[in-house]
Formats: sequence, structure tokens, C-alpha cells
Amino acid sequence: MLSFVLFSLSRAWQGFWRNAVMSLAATATMGLMLLMLAGFWIIQTGLLAGLQFTEQKVEVVGYLQPNAQANQIEVLQSRLEAMPEVASVAYIDRDIALARFRASMTAQGREDLTRYLDSNPLYASLEVKLVDPSNVRAVGDAMRADPNIRNVINIEDLVDRVLTVTNILRTAGTVVLVVVGIIVLFIIVNTIRLAVVARAEEIEIMRLVGASDAFIRWPFVFEGAFVGLLGALLALGVLAAVADPISGFMVDFFRVLPLQFGSLTRDLVVLVLGAGVGLGVLGSWLSVRTYLIR
Amino acid sequence: MPPIGGRTIQASTAEPNLITATPPSTTRSIRSRVLGRSQDQASPERPLLVLHDVTMRYPNGKLALRDVDLVIPEGDFVFLVGPSGAGKSTLIKLLIRDEVATRGEVVLDGQDLAHLPRRQVPRIRRKIGIVFQDFKLLPSKSVWENVAFALEVTGTPRGRIGPAVDRVLALVGLTDQAQQVPSQLSGGEQQRTAIARALVHDPRLIIADEPTGNLDPLISWEILQLLLRINELGVTVMMATHNAEVVTALRRRVVALEEGWVIRDEVGGAYHRED
Repeated sequence: MLSFVLFSLSRAWQGFWRNAVMSLAATATMGLMLLMLAGFWIIQTGLLAGLQFTEQKVEVVGYLQPNAQANQIEVLQSRLEAMPEVASVAYIDRDIALARFRASMTAQGREDLTRYLDSNPLYASLEVKLVDPSNVRAVGDAMRADPNIRNVINIEDLVDRVLTVTNILRTAGTVVLVVVGIIVLFIIVNTIRLAVVARAEEIEIMRLVGASDAFIRWPFVFEGAFVGLLGALLALGVLAAVADPISGFMVDFFRVLPLQFGSLTRDLVVLVLGAGVGLGVLGSWLSVRTYLIR
Repeated sequence: MPPIGGRTIQASTAEPNLITATPPSTTRSIRSRVLGRSQDQASPERPLLVLHDVTMRYPNGKLALRDVDLVIPEGDFVFLVGPSGAGKSTLIKLLIRDEVATRGEVVLDGQDLAHLPRRQVPRIRRKIGIVFQDFKLLPSKSVWENVAFALEVTGTPRGRIGPAVDRVLALVGLTDQAQQVPSQLSGGEQQRTAIARALVHDPRLIIADEPTGNLDPLISWEILQLLLRINELGVTVMMATHNAEVVTALRRRVVALEEGWVIRDEVGGAYHRED
């Protein structure tokens, strides 16, 4: 068994270098395709993070009756927190509301009109963050039903529209990624097939002298894996080289987003290496198969 | 004329009768001695190859073989003749189980090829050595590597490859050319390399498909000499050919095909029918 593996590996190595031009062309194609796949994957990851960020902005704000007692508010708050749809509930009292209003006026460069008032005109509120923005209706209704709530800002229709847009974008991103993946699959399998077809006579001779299928197949499979590995390293090398200038731009763009660059890099390495080796193996397996089935 | 294996061409054209007269038991022992393997289990009485009522119809409807009956005993030397498209190549494909007969039985060394599990096919092919008109050598490998290739890809332990390759290269007279690549060789030498590769497994049957088709008459005789010598060692030889001169001169068994029928099966025959 070990000698069979060693034999296959050494034949794969020979096969790679005997047709060096063909093999290097296949490796370059593999590298480029993986680079394209990685690029689309990065875009998709950024898109998903952006959409998630947008959806997390959805919160249900309910204004409290001015005469609501502190203990009633606490009961309401803990009742809302107990709902499975609710992520967190924040109590914003009138002073905080006024401070926020002033800050936002200042930020917009407008005059603070509240200083002409002798009392705080704003209501205290409960701001409810949702686990999933599509639950906005259930939470809104639960708040409206409570007598201590004066009114709930009606954001349901807005949320529906935002969710429609984000869902379309998410689906579109996935579709594009899948289509790119399929294109990459076909191009890589075809490239490997060319390298196998170039050695059809060798396979023919092996069959005629009585080589078993395993002896014919595995050297090609190892060679495909080798092409995939080299292509993946090539793609990762290019990505590493352009990472700094691009991440400068990316960090600016994604600063607001909850994106983990550490896990992005790890996922990217796993994706590129896995796709490279996997597609190399798949391509050679399928290509040799057509010669073995008689 | 160059000597082959210490024999000259003139000497051996007169030899066939001598070889035919050699009893099978003697040829088997020669084969064992020269090729360095023990005798096979098969009894001398059992024919190596039996075709019974074989019909081959290709998916496009073409009938390539019709009701072919053929019995080839161990140690026989058979010429397979007939015009192009007569069914010679199809017959060879059936023997190496590249195709499976539509009807009838092809039994090689006691095994019915039609009912052979796929996994057993490589094993059967190792009992056959096949030689083609276009040699089918790997251009980037040396003579030695081309021959060794047949053993490497069938999982022969490394230690047994070297001696086996050296032995068959000596048999075909290519010891001195062992390190050359095919492009440095003459046509005859390339074909001898192919024969060495076919022989290195110690096969029971050598099938040669037009082995002299690309060679000039002198070299063709050289190749014939070699095949006769291999046959002398006890290996059954089946040679498909259009070379009338060779067939008629050697007076061996001739099986003639035409439009898929066996129209003649004659021991000591000529290329064309003699009435």
C-alpha cells in the first residue's frame, strides 16, 4: 500500500514535469480562477456583513405615558426582555432623550430650540433591539397593547421594504457566487482534462499492459491535487501581496461593519486551498474515468 | 544481414518445420528456463484460446464478426489474414477484452471473457502481450524505461523489474540500445522494443497487429524472426498481417477472415487460397 502511494506520487511528480508547459499553464489557470473565486467571496462576505449591519439598525421605539410609574416601566421592560424575539431593551429617560436631541441638532449645525422652552417636552421611551428584524410586528403589537405605552413609531412598512431589499441583495450575491463557482469548476476541470488528454496514449498503453484502474488513476489524481495546491498557493500569494493596499481601502469602507478580519483571512485560506486541491482531484478523477470505462 | 540473437535470417527461414516438430513439453521447459518462471498450471491438452460461435455487432449495426469458431492450442503460431475491414482488429479487441462479443464465447486460458468482472480484466491482459503497427512507445522514456513501464504500472516489486527487463532486452537484442529514446532508434529497433515490452510479463499469448506494416521488407523479416523465436520458447503467437510474402514463405497456420466470416483455417497455408 505504501509502495503504491509512493509509486503514484513519484509518477505524479514525473508527469507534472514531463509536460512542464502544460502543467504550468494548468497551474496558472487554476491560480487565476481561484483568485477570481476569492475576490467574489470577499465581496460577498462584505455584502453580507453590510446587510446584517443594516438589519441590526432596526429597533422598535415605544414612548411611555408621562404618568407611567418606575415599577410599571420595569415590569414592562422585563416582560419585553423575556420575549424570544427581543435581543435587548434600553430605557431612555426624558433627560437622556433631551441630551440626544440637543446633540443631534448640534451635529446637524442647527440652532438648539429647546433652550427657549422652560420644561423638557420629550417623552421617555423603551428602545427594543430585535433578534430578527422580521419580528418587528409581533414586538410592536405587544408594546402597543400595554397601557403604559403612549405610542409606538410605526416602522413595520419601512422594515418590510428594507428587508425586501436586503433579501434580494443577499440572494443575488449568493447566486453570483454560485455562478462564479460553477464557471471556475468547469474551467479548472477542463484545464486538467487537457493535461490528461495530452497523455491519452500513455493511459492506453497502461491499459494494454494490464495496469489496474487504481494504478492508472491515482498518479493523475495526485498530479491534479498538486496542480490545485500550487494554483492555490499562487492565488494566496497574489492575495497576500495586494492585501495591504486593498485592506487600507477595505478598513475605511468596513470600519462601521462588524467584520472580523482574522476569521476572514482564515476562511479565505481554507476556501482557496480546499477549492484548489478539491477541484484538481475532481478534474483528474473525471478525466481519467472516461478512459477507464469500457 | 544482421544476426538476431546469434541466428541469421537465412538459417531460420528454413527452420519452421523444425520448430513445429518440437514436442510441447520441450517448448514449455525452454520457456520456463529462458523467461525464468515456473511452468503454468494449464495442461498441454487444454487450448489456450477458444472462440465459439462468436458474433460481434457494433452499436452502429455493423457486423464485424459472424459465427467465428477458432481453437488455438498453446504454442501455436497463427497468421490472421484478410482485407482491411474483414474483422481482424475486432477479433484482437475481443481477445484483449477491449470489446465484448455480442454473442458466443471467447475463452482465454479457461476464462470466459464475456463474464469476466471488470476488476479481473487487467489480470487477463497480463497473460497477453500486444504489439502494434505504430509501436506505441512513450517518446520521453528510454528503451529500458519503456519496457520497465509495463511492470511498474502493474505493481511489480522494484527488485524484480531490473532483471526481467535486462532479460527481455537481451532476448530481442537491444541491450546496447537500452538507454536510447525511441526517436534515436530505427523502426525495427522500435518494434523490437515494443515486443520486449509485450514479453516482459511472461505472457501466454503474443498478439501482433500488423507489426511489420511500417517496416521495410528486410526489417520485416527481422521482426518475423524474433516472433518465431519467441514462439519457439513456447509462447503462442497470433499475428495479423497483410504481408503475403511472409505468410506464404513460412507455411504456418493461416486463418483468413472476410466480411466477418472465417473463410479459411489451414495449417501450412499460404496468404492466398491455393487450389
